[in-house]
Order: sequence, then C-alpha cells, then structure tokens
Amino acid sequence: MWSYIIRRVLATIPVMALVALFVFSLLYLAPGDPAAVIAGDQASPADVERIRASLGLDRPYLVRFGAWAWDILRGDLGTSIFTNLPVRTMIAQRIEPTLSLMLVTLILAVSIAVPMGVIAAWKQGTWIDRAVMGFAVLGFSVPVFVVGYVLAYIFALELDWLPVQGYTPFAQGFFPWMENLVLPAIALGGVYIALIARITRATMLEVLSQDYIRTARAKGAGQRTILFVHALKNAAVPIVTVIGIGVALLIGGAVVTESVFAIPGLGRLTVDAILRRDYPVIQGVILLFSFVYVLVNLVIDLSYTFFDPRIRY
Amino acid sequence: MERRSLLQAGVAAAAATTGLSAPALSQRANARTLRFVPQANLANFDPIWGTQYVVRNAAALVWDTLYGINEKLEPKRQMIDSEETSSDGLTWTFRLRPGLKWHDGEPVRARDCVASLTRWCARDPMGQMLKDIQQELVAVNDTTFRWVLKRPYPKLLIALGKANTPLCCMMPERIAATDPFTQISEYIGSGPMRLVRNEWIPGAKAVFAKFEDYVPRSEPADWLSGGKRMNFDRIEWLVMPDPATASAALQNGEVDWWETPLVDLVPQLRRNRNIAVDIADPLGNVGSFRMNHLYPPFDNVGVRRAVQVALSQEDYMRAVVGDDTDLWKLMPSFFTPGTPLYTEAGGEPLKGPRNIDLAKRMLAQAGYNGTPVVLLVAQDQPVLKAMGDMTNALLTSIGMRVDYVATDWGTVGTRRASKEPPSRGGWNIFHTWHAGADCTNPASYSAMRTNGANAWWGWPDNAEIEALRDRWFDAGPAEEQAIVDEYNKKSMEFATWIPNGFYLGYQAWRRNVSGIVKAPLPIFWGVSKS
Repeated sequence: MWSYIIRRVLATIPVMALVALFVFSLLYLAPGDPAAVIAGDQASPADVERIRASLGLDRPYLVRFGAWAWDILRGDLGTSIFTNLPVRTMIAQRIEPTLSLMLVTLILAVSIAVPMGVIAAWKQGTWIDRAVMGFAVLGFSVPVFVVGYVLAYIFALELDWLPVQGYTPFAQGFFPWMENLVLPAIALGGVYIALIARITRATMLEVLSQDYIRTARAKGAGQRTILFVHALKNAAVPIVTVIGIGVALLIGGAVVTESVFAIPGLGRLTVDAILRRDYPVIQGVILLFSFVYVLVNLVIDLSYTFFDPRIRY
Repeated sequence: MERRSLLQAGVAAAAATTGLSAPALSQRANARTLRFVPQANLANFDPIWGTQYVVRNAAALVWDTLYGINEKLEPKRQMIDSEETSSDGLTWTFRLRPGLKWHDGEPVRARDCVASLTRWCARDPMGQMLKDIQQELVAVNDTTFRWVLKRPYPKLLIALGKANTPLCCMMPERIAATDPFTQISEYIGSGPMRLVRNEWIPGAKAVFAKFEDYVPRSEPADWLSGGKRMNFDRIEWLVMPDPATASAALQNGEVDWWETPLVDLVPQLRRNRNIAVDIADPLGNVGSFRMNHLYPPFDNVGVRRAVQVALSQEDYMRAVVGDDTDLWKLMPSFFTPGTPLYTEAGGEPLKGPRNIDLAKRMLAQAGYNGTPVVLLVAQDQPVLKAMGDMTNALLTSIGMRVDYVATDWGTVGTRRASKEPPSRGGWNIFHTWHAGADCTNPASYSAMRTNGANAWWGWPDNAEIEALRDRWFDAGPAEEQAIVDEYNKKSMEFATWIPNGFYLGYQAWRRNVSGIVKAPLPIFWGVSKS
C-alpha cells in the first residue's frame, strides 16, 4: 500500500511536468499580449514595445520556458505581470473561497445525489424514478449561471434570506461563512448532483439484480439494509470514481459560479488572468488545479480498498 | 432514508439558514463605509505604468495632483499654492501648498514633485512634448520648483490638471524614481484616502481608509479641484464582473454605488424606489471606427470616404446603447459634444440621410476591387461586438467583402499593433471607444494623430493635419477655435477614422447616499451616506 502511494505521488511529477510544458506552450502560441493591455488604449506602439521588453516577453520561447521552469523547481510560481504580486500570494488570497465552495458543493451534492440515485433505482419505473431522472436531465442541461441567477432572485432579492454575492472567511464564524456559500453551492452542485445520481441509479440497478441481493431478501433483510448496506457498498466503486472525475466539473463550474456570486476565488482569478494574458498567474493556477485533480484521484483510488477489500495495491 | 425524513431535513436546514442570515446582513449597514462597485478590476495600482481608467479613478483617491480640472474643464490649483510665469513664457515657478503630507507622515517636498513630473512626462503624450522642450526641471527649495522650457507651452496647466490617463500624480521621490515602464510597489500618496494594502485582493476588492492628515483646499470641491473632504472612514471597492450580480447587490443593499450599470438593467433599477439612477460622465464616450491606412482598401482615401457617407451613427448608437435617446447623440465631429471646442466644421459627410448608392458609386470611383476587409470584432465587449456587427452589415450593404474575425479584446489589442498585411495576421478595421474627456481638445487625443509610423493604430499619415495640431499648442484662446475647426475639417476630409456616435453611461446608487456628481470619473469627496 505505502509503496503504491509513494509510486503514485512520484508519478505526479512527470504528469505535472507535462502539464507545465503544455500550458506554457499553449500560452506562448495563443494570441494576445499583456503589454498591449497594460499600455492601455491610448498608448503608442513604442510604449507597448517598451513594456513588452520590460516584462521579458520579447525573449525567445526556450529562454522564457527555461527561466520559468527553473523558478518552479525552486518553488517560485513567479510574479503577476499586472499586480506585481507573487503568484503564490495571489493564490493564497484566493484559495480559501474556492476550496470552501468546492467542499460545501461536494458534501451537498453527495448527500443529495446518492440517496436520490438509490431511491430511483429502488423505485425503478415509477414516477419517483422518472422525477429523479428528470431532475438529472435538468441538472445537466441548465447552465450554472442560469441556476445562480434564479436562486439569487428568489432567495436574495425576493425573500431577502441570503446575500447575493461575496464571501466571508471561515475565521469569522461558521454561519456567516455558510451564508455566502449556500446559493453558490446549490447552483454549482446541480450538474454534479445530476451526474452522481445517474451513475448511482445505474450502478444500483445492476447490483440490485445480483443473486446475493435476492439471497438477502430471502433471508428477510429489510429494504433499507438491502439498499444501503448490501447494494450501495457494492455499487460504491463506480460512484466514488465518478465523484473523483467530477472534481474537474467542480473546478470548471467554480469559474462561472465565482463570477456570478462575486466570490473572490481561484476561478475568477483564472478568468481575469486569461482575459488579460497574465501568463504567470494562468500557469500557476492551472498547475495547482492539475495537482489537486491528480491528488483527488489518488485519494479516490486508495478509497477503493475501503469499499472493496478484494482490491489490493 | 424515507422521503418524508429527507424533506424534513431539507426544511430544517432552510429554516436554520434563514434564521441566521438576517442579523449578519443588518450588521453591514455602516454609514462611515461606502461600498462601491467599480467599472473594472483594479488589477494594478500604478497610475503612470497602468493607464486603464479604473486605475486612474482609484489613483485620484490616493495621489493628489498639482492642478485639477473643474466642471468647466479649467485647470485649478490643487497641491499648488501659487505659480509664476516669466514674461517670455519660458520659466514657470511653482510653490507648493503648506502642510501637505505623504501617507507615511513625511512632508511633501518640491523634489518629490520634480521626480513625479519626470516619471509622468515619460508616459503622457503632453508630458512627452514638454520633455522635448524642457531646459531644466529643478527643485529650488523644499516648497518651490522651477520648470524652464526652450519654447513657450501655453497649455502647461491643462497638461498638469487634465483628467486623462495617465493622471499627473505626485509621489514621494523614492517611488517616483521607479522606471516609468516598471510598476511601483509602494502606494504612498498625499491624497485624501490611502490604500489599505493588506486588504487589497486584485480582482476582488480594494479598500481605502481616510488619511487623517490630509488638508483639503478651502474652495468647494469641483471635479478634481477644490476641497476634497471625505465623509467616509473607509471606501470598499468590490469588483463584480457580472452586471446582474452587481444589480442584485445594489437592490439588496449589499453595495451603495455602482459605477457602470448595464443599460439593459437600468429599467429594473429605476423601478426600485431605494435606488437613484443618473448619467455618470457628462463627457461620455466617442465610438471609433478605426481603419488601417497601410493596406488596401483603406489606404485609399476614396474608399474611406465612401464608408463615411454610408455610416449611420444612429444605427450604431441604437445597437450600442439602445433606444434611450437620452443616452446618445449624433456627432458630425471628432470632438466631444457640449465641450468648449466642439465643432461640426467639415462634418457634412456624417450628416443627413445615409446614402448607400452614393457610397457604392464612390467605391467604384475609388477603384475598390473586392479586396476582403479583415474586421476584428471583440466578442467579450458588448459595445464593440455591437459596433462590429453594425460594420459587417454596413460594409456588406455597400458591396464590400468582409472577413469577420470574431475574437476577444486581448487578441484585438495585440493584432491591431501588427503592421503585417491583413491576410497575414494584420487587420483592416477594429472598433474601440474614446472617453469623451480625452476628446475635448487635440492635446491628449492620440487617435487624431496623423504622424504616420508613430501615429496611433492604423498609422494615418498627413503632415498638414499634424501641422494644425502643432499650431493649436502654441495658440492663444482667441485662435484656438479656428484651428480646431480646421483640424476637424481636414481630419474629416482625410477620414483619419470615423466617429460612430457619442454615448453616455449611467451610474446608480442607493438613495441613502448623497452628493454623487456627474464627472469623468467617480468623485468620492463630498459624498455621504445616511
């Protein structure tokens, strides 16, 4: 087990190196010029050239990549072209809101979607099943920002229950923290709930048709025991896999959700950096997201042994 | 889990959340704090290095200026106590107001101003002209500095007081010594507010705290001039990239003032009795149809003029800001309507009904041979997208072939700098807008320059028009208007570019906020909140 974990952690290094190379190359080839953005609309071409030179953007690809990679190896993600702040500082300023949003969404989604999928499988073919699947289709189809606007309109503007926007750090108390996260988490969670509910239903249907379920029923086990003890545990591996894969959905969705609810998180930082071509920030954030994604999937892989003791690493 | 228990849990959670949210919301009400939604993200904070308007607007809080313009666009003394000019107009001596302090407690000295002016001159178009004719710029003592020029420059005070970017901000000498093309890292000014550095999250929030040692002038505040008296201990800039969110936050009382509400959302805001809506900047914006003079077909003045007679400013303005006629005006001119030097001399091609048939004939006479027109359209900027779509329809209607390049503003910003042929990564047309404050006279109006390779994007080349501009700088008040008339006329004939209309924007605020004025930038002094 430990050797597996170490091997997997070491395997993230070439993955991250490839991600770094890919991201850097992509940005190098992408059109757009931060110097033009900095210089402003009234700047002369000479001003833009001078700013480009001062930022080192006139250097050849290999020189720029080499300098950046060397800094990364030393743990330095660079300095933002626009804010003049270290990328590490900017990420530190923004990571809490994003992690909070993802965490709350994850908990909310799993605690809603798994029971929904289980119930839909149990009541296959009934109106409950159709309602759950209908909700899943809706969750996939309605864009996050539309859900966000509707929620903000109802719960903030009409009912005045929750704030429209912003983020309160956890350090200022659990309830103020939660107050700002409820609507964004529901908006972001829609697609995630849909995905997990569908997979849970499909996997449960397969498991519920197995012989050992029939045996459990024959032995007189109750419906709840059959569903949540016998069936769900055996259906857990694909569900957990989807939860892990879905983290990518959350990361993507966080970009939109943070904009709609004005949450100062990494998603908004990424969008702003892309629009302004703030290369060090884009590279730093994407590296971080890649690392988180690799790490989450490692945790998911390790969790298989808990759900299915036959799996050994 | 049974369905019933699941529903009960949901209701319980909702009730818990409801009960806990209300007190936190009421705690936010604080009359000494103003919560403001700026037009854009304050991503950097160097008013000389970064010339975006949002930086200028925040800079006006933190850094004071030697002079400031008033509502009549006149430069008035701000940090300056008095100035003297020699009889030949070559030597200017400036004396600072007593009691001025930097945010770190140090007194403002003349040498700080000399260093600040030197840095500003490197980046500002008028500053660069001054630098070219500068004999010396020296501090005489702690309160006095002298500027000696090689030839008179009557527009000097306009240069120092104008609201255009880069604003002529004064900084301590050690900060102003930073290369003008490198960003400063200390934000020490002598303005009425100071930046709270540890609360600044670029892209999300910037906080300004009252500078207790600020000494306002005794005159009433008037735009960037007069007594800048602050009624807030704290001003929070909350960046909201989504207009719908900003609108909801304003209606919900989570913010107090929104600088640039989307026109589409204004009717909804107006229905809310707690919210006031009014024009933000009376100098508005001038829409620009910019052509590349280096390559066919727009290297041919005949083709440019053919487009000019077909272009309907009304169509553009309705596409950009809608049918609210309070928000836009036709302008057969390059200059901001309603400002002292506004002229319609030579503006006939943009007046009256549009003539598509005439445009087609003019195109044929000019020898247009079907060369495709590469039209860059920034899809992420609603105003520019609307202009681009109008241009596509316009050019097609007069028989031009259009290569519509849908892209983002970042890419337009890069590609417009390319002098390559349009078919090899260059361009023929892009759109932008100029702040009306920049278009009140020829001084900082870069878009009007026709100095060829050194001109603004599109590189128009016309020595006669440039000579008129030079004459304006040397002109006294009596001659100014005649020169601007001629400048406008010649520029129209040359079709340097085509103004596609003048439009205004709204600002919105909660009715418990008072003292908000219409100005080229948000003016925070004099504003209060009950």
